[in-house]
Amino acid sequence: MTRYAMVMDQRRCIGCQSCTVACRTWNDLPDDIIYNPVVSEGVQGVFPDVHATFTPLICMHCDNPPCTICCPCKASQQDEDGIVWVDEAKCMACKVCVNSCPYGARDLSSYDRPLHSFVRKCNFCKDRVREGEQPYCVMTCHQKARIFGDLDDPQSEVSKLVNSLKVERIFPELNTDPHVFYIPDLGGHR
Amino acid sequence: MSHMNNNKLTKHYWVWPIAWYLFLGGLGGGILCLSGLFDLIFRHGIIEAGSEPLAQVGAIFALPVFIGVALLGIGSFLLVFELGQPLVFLRVFISRTAIIKYGACLLVLAMGFGFIYFLFFLPPEWNLFYYDWLWLRDVCCVLMMVFGVGIMVYTGVLLSSMKAKPFWNTPALPVLFTVSALSTASALMALAAGLWPATTFALPHQVEVQHFLVEQLHVIDSVLVIVEIIVLIVYVLMMYGAGNVTARTVAIKWLRGAFAVPFWGGMILVGLFVPFVSYLTGGIMATAVAPVLVLATGLLLRFLIVYSDARRPIPGEERYWSRIPKGDEEFLSAWK
Amino acid sequence: MTETIDIHAPGVEIKKSCCYFCHQNCGVLAYVKDGEVLKIEGDPTHPTNQGGLCCRGNIALLHLKHPARINHPLKRVGEKGQNQWEKIGWDQAISEIAERLNQIKAESGAEAVATAGGTLRTDDWSRRRFMNLFGSPNGFHNALLCWIPTFMVETAVSGWSPFETDLSTSRVVILWGFNPGASAMPGMRGYSDLQKAGLKLIVVDPRYSETAAHADLWLPLRPGSDTALALAILHTIMFEQLYDQDFVNNWCVGFQELWEHMWQYSPEWAAPLTWLDPNQIREAARMYANNKPGNIQWGCTADQLGRTAGAGMHARALIRAITGNLDRPGGDLMPGPSMAYITDEELEANEWLPEEQKAKQIGSNKYKLTSWPGYQMIADTAKATWGKAPTAEWMCEAHGPSVFKAILTGDPYQVRALIVSATNPVNSYGDAKMTLAALKEVEFLVTCEYWMTPAALYSDYVMPIAGALERPIIHNNYGVTDSLIASQRAIQPLFERHTDYDFWHDLALASGQPPEQWPWDTLEEAFYYVIYPLGLPVASYDEFVENYRFYYPPLEYYKFGEKGFSTPSRRVELKSSILEKLGYPSMPTWIGPAENEIDDPELAREYPLVLTTGGGFMPYHHSEQFNIASVRFLRSDPYFTINPETAKTLGITDGDWCWIETRRGRIKQRANVEPSVDARVIYAQRGWWFPERTATPEEPFGCLESNVNVLSSVDDEHCDPIGGSWANRGLLCKVYKVSYWDKVDATDTTFSIPGSSAEPGVTVMPSDQKLAYEPIPYEPPGAPFEVPEGLVWDENTQIAWDLELGLAYDPESGWLYHPETLVYYDLVTRYAYDPTSEVLIDEATGIRYNLETREPIEGGGADGGGESGADGASAPGADGGGESDSAAGASAPGEDGGGESASAPIDEEGGEAQ
Repeated sequence: MTRYAMVMDQRRCIGCQSCTVACRTWNDLPDDIIYNPVVSEGVQGVFPDVHATFTPLICMHCDNPPCTICCPCKASQQDEDGIVWVDEAKCMACKVCVNSCPYGARDLSSYDRPLHSFVRKCNFCKDRVREGEQPYCVMTCHQKARIFGDLDDPQSEVSKLVNSLKVERIFPELNTDPHVFYIPDLGGHR
Repeated sequence: MSHMNNNKLTKHYWVWPIAWYLFLGGLGGGILCLSGLFDLIFRHGIIEAGSEPLAQVGAIFALPVFIGVALLGIGSFLLVFELGQPLVFLRVFISRTAIIKYGACLLVLAMGFGFIYFLFFLPPEWNLFYYDWLWLRDVCCVLMMVFGVGIMVYTGVLLSSMKAKPFWNTPALPVLFTVSALSTASALMALAAGLWPATTFALPHQVEVQHFLVEQLHVIDSVLVIVEIIVLIVYVLMMYGAGNVTARTVAIKWLRGAFAVPFWGGMILVGLFVPFVSYLTGGIMATAVAPVLVLATGLLLRFLIVYSDARRPIPGEERYWSRIPKGDEEFLSAWK
Repeated sequence: MTETIDIHAPGVEIKKSCCYFCHQNCGVLAYVKDGEVLKIEGDPTHPTNQGGLCCRGNIALLHLKHPARINHPLKRVGEKGQNQWEKIGWDQAISEIAERLNQIKAESGAEAVATAGGTLRTDDWSRRRFMNLFGSPNGFHNALLCWIPTFMVETAVSGWSPFETDLSTSRVVILWGFNPGASAMPGMRGYSDLQKAGLKLIVVDPRYSETAAHADLWLPLRPGSDTALALAILHTIMFEQLYDQDFVNNWCVGFQELWEHMWQYSPEWAAPLTWLDPNQIREAARMYANNKPGNIQWGCTADQLGRTAGAGMHARALIRAITGNLDRPGGDLMPGPSMAYITDEELEANEWLPEEQKAKQIGSNKYKLTSWPGYQMIADTAKATWGKAPTAEWMCEAHGPSVFKAILTGDPYQVRALIVSATNPVNSYGDAKMTLAALKEVEFLVTCEYWMTPAALYSDYVMPIAGALERPIIHNNYGVTDSLIASQRAIQPLFERHTDYDFWHDLALASGQPPEQWPWDTLEEAFYYVIYPLGLPVASYDEFVENYRFYYPPLEYYKFGEKGFSTPSRRVELKSSILEKLGYPSMPTWIGPAENEIDDPELAREYPLVLTTGGGFMPYHHSEQFNIASVRFLRSDPYFTINPETAKTLGITDGDWCWIETRRGRIKQRANVEPSVDARVIYAQRGWWFPERTATPEEPFGCLESNVNVLSSVDDEHCDPIGGSWANRGLLCKVYKVSYWDKVDATDTTFSIPGSSAEPGVTVMPSDQKLAYEPIPYEPPGAPFEVPEGLVWDENTQIAWDLELGLAYDPESGWLYHPETLVYYDLVTRYAYDPTSEVLIDEATGIRYNLETREPIEGGGADGGGESGADGASAPGADGGGESDSAAGASAPGEDGGGESASAPIDEEGGEAQ
């Protein structure tokens, strides 16, 4: 079985937002839709003893996604390889999935034509991934801070990283079983 | 609340139509439930009161049920109106599991049986075939109760099922919504029963029954109002004391922030405590003022709850989204 | 719903294009069908980016199809600045512009035409070629803010500036005022990888930047005090004996003088200037010097400090040198100009610019190293070493701000026409209010642009320029490395857009330049000419891109071992003779930043905070991309960074709009309150303008409102006398909240020379403005021997010359010789010496004379005197002349055998210069 997952190496991320822009252009997103913001609390500490951490966000492609069972139209769904996606043709934009996602990974574009908006979210660039390529945000990352692959393949880089390092996940206590893993930055200049 | 906002943390994806929908749904469900309940009790002589047998209930629940069905209809319309693609609202029935689908089914069924119930009171000269099918009326009553309760609980469950929304994600929310729904339903029924349109349906001998009903509703509502005050305060304090920072932040907003005036002043004091006292004092305060205040409180509660949809921020998200343009910036439209 | 675009559909071609939104030129694959680019993505096989693309790179399609792009030549029909245009054809526009330029040239001389550039968003050699053939020396860029002064100082000191760092085996790198985390993404990846492998990163930055966050040692110095830090590091390396003794002994000159000079600049001396602890400075010096090989990476901050800049660049050049890191494996490589392909300099036609025009270059009388006087010396030395010189574009230019001042004041002469190409000068040149005034004022303005910028708005003609995906691009690091990466255009330019090359080519032909000077009809033809010498089996430029894409010669180390360093002495000149001759301190000498609290405490009381501007930040590059909504969405407002402590004192909270004010003016930005800077420091974002706003004629597009260059200074006394860079960093400022009543008023837009908002207008003419320090008069030491009568001592070549005959004097023997034929001539009679028959021959008459008596030899014929010197002359009386190897040149007459001492410096360039 294939189970796609992503690892965010926060030790390498510098918050350039290339992935954010790349995703917007590759997927032709309207201006108000952001699939993968890179957030940071800014520089923390007392100068000059300070640190900063950048957290690239994206749909967590949870194993227990709260956003699919709540969808009345079966538009929000998960494939066998773990990819959670929205079939735009089936969506009626009730937004229940938007509200149900603890990660803010879904949004409804307000710039679409009237009476025809739909919920949009990251789908791990499934068209690219199934052609054997990397999701576009992974490819565009100069810093190689995003690593994508098949978690079920013990030879894959994600599998090795997830199993060999102490990785973290966002809000694991919600039992959503997110499949985006973070290698935390220890912070501070060394 | 239509001004632009691209801050994903403070953006409300469900806005006033949903608040109205939750209010109307609960209210309509409550009315159907109470009407079915009283109709059964009265007609089957389960309780006795005064000189006239309560079995002479006749059409006094026709108007409340009609109102209930209508309110559910308006609520459903608002729900559809709120959709990004209202024209394809029938897609709501595709899923098997979604709570929102259950809600839609409950709404349809409640409205359906409510409507059937209402049909019993069409003018006799139409001479429709089912006038004598009292068993059907009983069935309708039972199903109205079942689906009415279902809707009341469902409006709460819809919100409380969301792990993403700490202020909603508690079993206390369906309780709160159910109490509030019953309370507002009692209020509206009391109001409807005491006002002139109700009397047009009522035969002279039913007026007394109606008065009895109104009295009972006042008692019921005064209890419900007290229960609601307790549930509400417990709910907010529970959120305030909760480990979840976001729930606590929202609770603080209720207790001493932006929602404090509508909460303490609008709901607890004017909306619930004043009606309680009014029910006790009786008179016009009980028949007209208290029910209206209770209804307003029910609506206000739904609004405050709907706008308490804060999601727990991932560290850094607040800063990020606070710097994202709202949407009315010149550059967003300059090069279209 | 978005339509899915299938990039694998039949008929889709993949073009190997590249990004054109900063200097990295990352590889881009463009999927093209029927002349339309469907999608782009990073080129995974490109050596620079390996598939990565940053914010800017990803917006190429939005840029290409942006509705605000200028697509046709525009001719002004209303008043200047009224934004009223007539669309005209390209050829018509070109011929009208050419006519007007020719008229101005006829009336006021070619120097009345100037051109302003930005930073490498053009094929600059074609602009230079046009200007040289046109006869004007007044082309300029923002080059002085962008590493060019560093290049020139380092080249003066050690013969080349190590742009290319051999990081693979390096153990330490100093990133000095360089934040690849925001401005050079592919580089940042490299540092992260290498750091993992053990490379140590020393980051010098007043701000906790993306790069500082990854540093092994971060030096958060006072903005503008980099020079003091450099001097103290140099001091530490010298006096803690951390330098490379062998290298210093063998390859450096002037160490003793430097030792005496540097004694004063201890870390303790630097501490109050830099706000650093002396031990931090020592630690940095030790970390760099003890981890060999090491690098100092290029970075532009050093050039943007204003008057204090030159000494800092100089000190850094010396730090690299005395630690022996030059041109060694893992160190700072010095490839010199490429020998394998045609360099930009060879395309520039500099030899066609007459000497008298060179002398008219504005600013060259003040800022000599980066204009003709200094460039000429450096180019001559480089040509003597490699036969090729560094590019003159960037390295040898007019002083931009002085040209703007000349437009406003007519001093030193009136500049009447300006061609603005690939720059938004109001936002990118110093003293924006003055620059804006100059653009409004200039008699004839042409702008080559993508967009309607403030400069374009005041133009008489706006020319539509082809951008990314529409042009072929050669990336060769400004000619300072010997590698080359080539990219092709994905599509032909849309609408009537043309490349810059087309513009200059067409303008050149229309203004009457000879067609044989412009033999390449298209940029591809020109680029084919460039790569042709590589000798690869390709029939066209596109074929080269498709089959080879890049040319990387193997790295060569220790090249100085063969020819020495490319300096006049062939050694690293720790005491620089070139700087000395130009009137600058020959060794790095401290002068404080343009505005600082120590030299001017009075000013510091009014403006208590230290401002730094000019740092790059994602997603913008300089003043670009502010009109790409998708990008702008991520950073829609300008933010300055202020320490929470200071913000609290000033009552400023995060997100507040505030005024930042210096002596020259004030701007509005929003507060980003975070402890990434010292409590005394303000970091303001550069580049901000608001292209979405209306083009009001007074202050179009809000171009002054949040523009840090309103705050920067181009006063001559604030500029670096050596390189001319103006002061962007380390200025004194104050910050206060924008209040409701405090609106923009007239003083916020009026200009003044020198920059002082208190005194609008021109109060001091540019030529009366003083430099930060007076030139040090260069007293040529004169000849180390008595120069015989009739000969002239030349300082540059260190030779006494007979100018009439072009003969050099050999003081050892007392004879003259011809530098090319190496024939010796008698000092008294100027007769040639014939070593075969040991007689003197008068070459004019062929009469032979006796060597001793100089009497004519009876019966003697002219038998072969002319050919006598052909195979290397042996001097009269020399008994072993034949032994000296021919390369060593002539043995002098009277010399008994030693080839070495008498081999006079044979300098062809020097000879021709006479």
